[in-house]
Amino acid sequence: MSGTLTIDGKTIPFAAGQSVIEAARCAGIYIPHLCHKPGYAPHGSCKLCTVFVNGRKTSACTYPAAADQNVVSDTPELQQDRLRLTQMLFVEGNHFCPSCEKSGNCQLQGVAYHLRMLDNHYPHFYPQRQVDASHPDILLDHNRCIFCNLCVRASRDHDGKNVFAIAGRGINKRLIVNSASGQLKDSDISIDDQATQVCPTGAILVKRTGYQVPIGERWYDRQPISELALGKEDSHER
Amino acid sequence: MYEHLETAANPAGLKRVVVDPVSRVEGHGKVTLLLDAENRVQQARLHIVEFRGFEKFIQGRPYWELPVLVQRLCGICPVSHHLAAAKAIDQLVGIDPADLPPAADKLRRLLHFGQVLQSHALHFFYLSSPDLLFGFDSEIGKRSVVAVLADYPDIGLQGVKLRKYGQEVIRMVSGKRVHGTGAIPGGMNKALSREERDYLLQDIGQIVDWAQAAVALIKRVHGADRAFNDAFATIRSNYLSLVKADGALELYHGGIRAKNADGATLFDHYDYCAYPELIREEVRSWTYMKFPYLTALGKADGWYRVGPLARINNCDFIDTPLAEAARVEFKQQLADQGLVHSTLAFHWARMIELLHCAESIQALLHDPDLLSGELVAQGSKRYEGIGVIEAPRGTLFHHYQIDDNDIVTKANLIVSTTSNNTGMNESVRQVAAAYLSGRELTEPLLNQLEVAIRAYDPCLSCATHAVGKMPLQVELVDAAGQVVDRLTRHGNGEFARGDAG
Amino acid sequence: MSAKIKIATTSLAGCFGCHMSFLDIDERITELAEVVEFDRSPLTDIEHCGPCDIGLIEGGVCNSENVHVLREFRKNCKTLVAVGACAINGGLPALRNFVSVEECLLEAYRDGIGIDNPQIPSDPELPLLLDKVHPIHEIVKVDYFMPGCPPSADVFWTFLSALIAGREPKLPYELVHYD
Repeated sequence: MSGTLTIDGKTIPFAAGQSVIEAARCAGIYIPHLCHKPGYAPHGSCKLCTVFVNGRKTSACTYPAAADQNVVSDTPELQQDRLRLTQMLFVEGNHFCPSCEKSGNCQLQGVAYHLRMLDNHYPHFYPQRQVDASHPDILLDHNRCIFCNLCVRASRDHDGKNVFAIAGRGINKRLIVNSASGQLKDSDISIDDQATQVCPTGAILVKRTGYQVPIGERWYDRQPISELALGKEDSHER
Repeated sequence: MYEHLETAANPAGLKRVVVDPVSRVEGHGKVTLLLDAENRVQQARLHIVEFRGFEKFIQGRPYWELPVLVQRLCGICPVSHHLAAAKAIDQLVGIDPADLPPAADKLRRLLHFGQVLQSHALHFFYLSSPDLLFGFDSEIGKRSVVAVLADYPDIGLQGVKLRKYGQEVIRMVSGKRVHGTGAIPGGMNKALSREERDYLLQDIGQIVDWAQAAVALIKRVHGADRAFNDAFATIRSNYLSLVKADGALELYHGGIRAKNADGATLFDHYDYCAYPELIREEVRSWTYMKFPYLTALGKADGWYRVGPLARINNCDFIDTPLAEAARVEFKQQLADQGLVHSTLAFHWARMIELLHCAESIQALLHDPDLLSGELVAQGSKRYEGIGVIEAPRGTLFHHYQIDDNDIVTKANLIVSTTSNNTGMNESVRQVAAAYLSGRELTEPLLNQLEVAIRAYDPCLSCATHAVGKMPLQVELVDAAGQVVDRLTRHGNGEFARGDAG
Repeated sequence: MSAKIKIATTSLAGCFGCHMSFLDIDERITELAEVVEFDRSPLTDIEHCGPCDIGLIEGGVCNSENVHVLREFRKNCKTLVAVGACAINGGLPALRNFVSVEECLLEAYRDGIGIDNPQIPSDPELPLLLDKVHPIHEIVKVDYFMPGCPPSADVFWTFLSALIAGREPKLPYELVHYD
């Protein structure tokens, strides 16, 4: 089934099987998101893409597009919700942008810039989290994990390896590694895996490659995420 | 010389005087004095009261983060920390300074010259020129860069633009004026574009001229009251700095040279990677800043001064012509035998270096290596890296150890201001003994204590002084802890005096 | 003729990079000085501190004195602005929040390389360290935030121009950075 729907008053086409967020992206409309990635199974966990569909709040990344839907995304209320959700992500982890090698190319940062986030609003948790540097080529810094599940999906659905999973709930939620020791060095992950490349923040990094892109030439120095995310195949999100 | 004033023999019953803050010295610092019943100074201390713990908390981070992370030690000379860390992590990837690609080496030098230029301009024009142009005991309302800009607009604006130029050099190389990126293990992340080079070339002739004018200005100011300026806060000390292999002034890379107060060379072209044998640091209970000393000379005699005065005293010559001429004149005028010990001569030495940086930038900008060529060299991993550089305020040591997983396991940083800790304390004690002891608490005392410390350009002094007047309060407290006298300098520059309560 | 706008600034647990960036307004400082008077910071003269219009705070809160200074600023400044990463989220000094204060002190003053006379400095003149570094909004109410490490000179300029003119400050996309 295909047809048209309206989003923020604009009529756009959609193709059969598309979610609302994908239909919007193809029509050049950006809906903020972190756990969604084109080509990946939807997950619906970050809630940033929450929109009104026919008056009801739902995740645009999991909701199928349908004819004559009335989608509302860009309202002060929804933007405020997105801002607060983003601020929670910042205070629940340890996101030290000034020294982070992902800075400028970090989607968490890109979304926060888009939302004009100036402060973190909430008290900081400063949780104790570990760095797993055991792998010779790949660094896993749990401080920066936002539990978007993209590495889990990448490894399971695209690399066929099942290296990662999310364990625990609430404040005890954490990314775990599928190996006898629990360390990355004993897992099947390799540097070319999508799971190595997909992380939207600086939680999973290829070692010894930091800071190679000069300031001014990084993604969000050049263009806002709202424009870059509309590129073909979401190319900037690797 | 004044060590006896570090700790009073019998502190009980002495009056306590606090100058808080004197300046932002690696954080917040203050001076305390203890006076006896006749107001004679029995004890004088510069306390550094802030502690941040970088050496511990960078443990556990991957080494390539270090140049970007540790530059946040200091917003005034971040480039110095960035490059000292970069030299250390070069070694971690098996690259010694001689192996760095020429383009990377020259880009780093350009970055560093920009840094020293802007820092020296900041200190001289924004911080010290009010004292020097209006006089130490001038109306307090005059003592700010705003007043300099109003009364000496030409000098003030030249200072602002000199600093601006240094900051623009930094921005072109590192992407930002404060806390950019640039150095990566074994090299740099970008060359200079032709447009960036041409942009910097536009004004460099003017910058060299203004730097010459700055040297002329400090020469005139120092000469206006030679006897006073030579003696004020002056102490005899050892000096330590890097020098080039041929003995020339060097800011980016060289061997360590040290001279004693008589001008005799203690050691020369010492490999800085062996610094742990050369220097130890003593902890004292009353301040967070340690006291480095030369191991061979021991705690009592081994302390030394670093920074512009040390570098100009130590080098045999400067390899840019205008700065060399200025150095020769400086030595002719101030050095009776060998070395210049005048603490206020730090300013003069600083302006000679400012000129050297301007000339060096001018020469470098014509070097085609900045625009192209290999930027990164690769070697094999090592587990320990040491980087030493001449920061604006003096020799700066960064030392890291890492494990098999590229994670930092040990770090040691000796920042320039720390090396001047004993020197600053000695100068404070000299001023206290010579200008305060036995006298009633007066306003000029306040500024003179500050002037002594400010000559060393301690790292964070600028913040308060640069954007306003340095606020001060001195309290005289009797043995029972009662405030018996108080002198306060207000934001508008007025003084108020009155009893406590 | 009304008085100039009074601005006070201070650095708590910061590196003064924000103050440096403020000075990066370069020649515009003369323009600013026409409408603004830089007040002293109240931290050393609390009893005599007059009211200020704008207080700019750089740095997070790491010791008892920082708390004291911050509270005095809040009391005296009509508008309080958190400037830079450290004031907003603790910044890199907050990396020590994952280690105990004791461990940090022992590393610096006992277990470090080339330490002589090992001891942890302890003196009535030294303010007490807090166990954690905190952003300033956890201690006092903050009116505005200027992110960046540091915020660029243009951020200061845009922000202060608006505040001085009585407008609500707004930063365009290009000026919002966290590094």
